Amino acid sequence: MSDIFFLVLRRLRTPLILLIGVYAIATFGMTLIPGIDADGEPWHMTFFHAFYFVSFMGTTIGFGEIPHPFTDLQRAWVLVCIYTSVIAWLYGIGSLLKLLQDETFIGAVAQRSFKLSIKRIDLPFHIVCGYGETGQLITRGLSELGIQTVIIDLKSERLHALELEELGVQPIVLSGDITNPENLFAAGINNPLCRGIIAVTQDDHTNLQIAVASKLVNPDVPVICRSEIQDEADNMESFGTDTIINPYLTFGRRLSLLTSNPALHRIHNWFINQHSAEHINQRITHEGLPGGNWIICGYGRFGKAVEHYSDNRHTNIIIVDIDLDASGAPKGSIAGRGTEAKTLIEAGIEDASVIIAASDDDANNLSVLITAKQLNSKIVTIGRVSQETNNKLFVHAKCDYIMRRSQVVANEALTRISRPLVTKFLQYSSSLSSEATNHLITEICRLTDDTDPVTWRLGVNVDEAPAIVRFIDKHRSLTIGNVSANARLPRAEGIPLLLLRGGMSHLLPDPSMPLKLGDELLLCGARNQTLLAQKMRENVELVDSLINQNQHHIPLLRWLKRRKKIKPID
Amino acid sequence: MNLEKVIFAFFIILALSLNFSFFIGELSEPAHHHVYELFAALIVSLICTVMKFGDRTHFGSTVLASSLVVDLLLIAAAVTWGISTVSYGAITATTMATVTSLAGGALIANLLSVVLLIIETGQIRK
Repeated sequence: MSDIFFLVLRRLRTPLILLIGVYAIATFGMTLIPGIDADGEPWHMTFFHAFYFVSFMGTTIGFGEIPHPFTDLQRAWVLVCIYTSVIAWLYGIGSLLKLLQDETFIGAVAQRSFKLSIKRIDLPFHIVCGYGETGQLITRGLSELGIQTVIIDLKSERLHALELEELGVQPIVLSGDITNPENLFAAGINNPLCRGIIAVTQDDHTNLQIAVASKLVNPDVPVICRSEIQDEADNMESFGTDTIINPYLTFGRRLSLLTSNPALHRIHNWFINQHSAEHINQRITHEGLPGGNWIICGYGRFGKAVEHYSDNRHTNIIIVDIDLDASGAPKGSIAGRGTEAKTLIEAGIEDASVIIAASDDDANNLSVLITAKQLNSKIVTIGRVSQETNNKLFVHAKCDYIMRRSQVVANEALTRISRPLVTKFLQYSSSLSSEATNHLITEICRLTDDTDPVTWRLGVNVDEAPAIVRFIDKHRSLTIGNVSANARLPRAEGIPLLLLRGGMSHLLPDPSMPLKLGDELLLCGARNQTLLAQKMRENVELVDSLINQNQHHIPLLRWLKRRKKIKPID
Repeated sequence: MNLEKVIFAFFIILALSLNFSFFIGELSEPAHHHVYELFAALIVSLICTVMKFGDRTHFGSTVLASSLVVDLLLIAAAVTWGISTVSYGAITATTMATVTSLAGGALIANLLSVVLLIIETGQIRK
């Protein structure tokens, strides 16, 4: 406040002095010049009258010549005073308006309101550094989950776009250089409510700087970094960055999973992309990617990641790149863009099963995919989108699987932040046998009518589930099966995915396992359904009636109140 | 030599001098205190205040504060004088005494401003 106040005062010094001067001279003149009263006697204005007259003259209200009609000499002086005072006012108001548009002033006001917002924050929050496409997706996702975000970005135009967006929890924004530690402090890194820092700027090195600074200032706050260059990622890892997300490697792994274990890929795809689904052909999610010849057009970071994770027992990678020497492509690669039929035929498009347009140019990628489809209508197309806005074109081009860099990072980060149990589940899910995986998929499909499921976490503690804790406390055992499914409420069924007990994870826990205090249970169910566990959490009567078969009558008011409180998961 | 500093010091000392020239004389004697002196003292003091705006050092804030005190007292004196002349036609001895003593109070604050100015000048030399 004081900063802004003094800035205004300092800038308005000259116009204020001018105004005081003009008023003083005008008043002084009015008292000096003699007038003639009603009786024809000469008289002098007192300071009181003079100041009164000058005041209404200066603001051009004009009450007339009081207390007596003026002489010509007085009128001449008033004429001079009117013009000077109007000019002084115009100058003063002009300076004030100029000040309001001044960058320094606007910056000071923004800084001030940002600091105030941070001070008043009363929700756990995450700091998002960089509001690009990724930052935007993450902010939207977190806001839908009701998590407060603080956004810092260098470009204020980007942040202005945020004002137009309808978000559940309005983010607090600051336009500033995040590599300046001062801004990190201002964003509340030392605030006890700060739950994490997400560095998703375009530049790897900036993300690295953010990670270093945060780990030095407050090592307890988890840091999630986006990194596309291995060197920087290694560097980030060396000082304990909690999560490093490389979109190319992540997607490369996903493609390899889709080839080797499509069922598991389907589960990953469901749970990681819970908030914004990836564009993928349904047939491929069921059958997986075929082996055989894969053509990769563009041997950049993405192309290399795909090649790295591919299984060369089943797949044979053929690389097409415009500059084979510069990209370090292996022998037998084909030079060219892949946008023209000649190169693709040379790469063996007729026998190829999959084509991946992996260059960083969206127009070229589209061209590759369209040409490939014309040459081989059965080929599976995978396209990389660099500009989020071009995504629609890839969908129109009937691309089978679209890799959106920012979406990959955003969904991965959102899962880590908001659903740590899901991350654990996915981590251990690779140990599932293929029968178990297929069984799980069948179960989920039965529950959700072949739509995407969503996950929900039950924490067995007094705050989150008082009714369940009370039931367990009375030495009666409550099993996982009791809270996940009940014949009387078939639509509220959930499938237990993971039980976390004392740091140990139990994958797909047995429904007969009893729940204990402090357990965390991950369930999944149909979208827009209220799970049984959600209903039982705070409802003592429901727990009693479902488990012990006791009838209860619940007052209407309490029933209405509860109904309002429990929201379906989405 | 800095023109800005000269102007600044000029106004501060002028405010003190004008204030003193109004104050000097028999306390309740209207003939000893001219209204133009009070007017000049008030205007110069207002200009001083504006000139001190925006100086955020500790020193600057004290000078600004003392200047605001001067403004407050001189405005009170001027208002008293104005009301008295409007309602009684001329200033009475008691009102004159009030106006003069208010100006006396302002004089102390003005004196403090000048002392602070001198101290600041001394510090710079070191």
